[in-house]
Amino acid sequence: MNTVLSRANSLFAFSLSVMAALTFGCFVTTAFKDRRVSVDIHVSKVMLKNVDDFTGPRERSDLGFITFDISADLEPIFDWNVKQLFLYLSAEYATKSNSLNQVVLWDRIILRGENTKLNLRDMKSKYFFFDDGNGLRANKNITLTLSWNVIPNAGILPLVAGSGHVSLPFPEQYEATKSY
Amino acid sequence: MLSVFKSIPTHMDYKGQKLAEQIFQGIILISAVIGFVYGLIIQQFGWTVYIVLAGFAVSCLVTLFIPPCKHLRNPLPWQPVAPEASGEPTQKPQESIKRKKHK
Repeated sequence: MNTVLSRANSLFAFSLSVMAALTFGCFVTTAFKDRRVSVDIHVSKVMLKNVDDFTGPRERSDLGFITFDISADLEPIFDWNVKQLFLYLSAEYATKSNSLNQVVLWDRIILRGENTKLNLRDMKSKYFFFDDGNGLRANKNITLTLSWNVIPNAGILPLVAGSGHVSLPFPEQYEATKSY
Repeated sequence: MLSVFKSIPTHMDYKGQKLAEQIFQGIILISAVIGFVYGLIIQQFGWTVYIVLAGFAVSCLVTLFIPPCKHLRNPLPWQPVAPEASGEPTQKPQESIKRKKHK
């Protein structure tokens, strides 16, 4: 410790260890927090088509077009350990060929500091709602849920489903718009 | 410009080194506690990092570029210089014998 460099080395290493301990402390203060918020989803219009599925084998599959509204207040989730939220709207349903299908229709990233009150109207899906086959026509029950992935500064990345989902039946025929 | 840096005294005696280590550990720990509490209150981890960095900068200035009061206050008591005429001839053969034994 009798040279400047030796003292600087010791000082810097100690600072980094202290920073690591503080980051662990930050993780501990928010590790067991409940990150669920109530979400309100409403679907206004659904249309169904039967087209060639370009994403898979060459056969005709069902393609759904959904127009939806989402309103949620995500303010309680953000704290000092949350960097951003990755939201996604997923549709879940069962068909004759597959017992569980989950399709992501829309997603968004919300950074800390941005507006946390979601009030989206007449949103179109970002991704194609293709079914593996023809299972969407006359499907009795398709459930839409808004979930999010919490990305922290330090710690685990929990996957949380919002409390509030909407289930709806799909139209019986192709090219027919069904309004709700 | 380098001559300015070379002229700053940075040599420290033993007690000064111990004092310097205690000082920088204390400064950084105190700034860490203050930063953690402040960050927890305003719910922004960025401020915790800023406060710890400020503590790091302060302790850098204090311990690296020390004020003259801290060094050379307790110089180590070195042995007085041995008289050269009688000391060296008897020491050299003994040292060479010792080295051969170690091999």
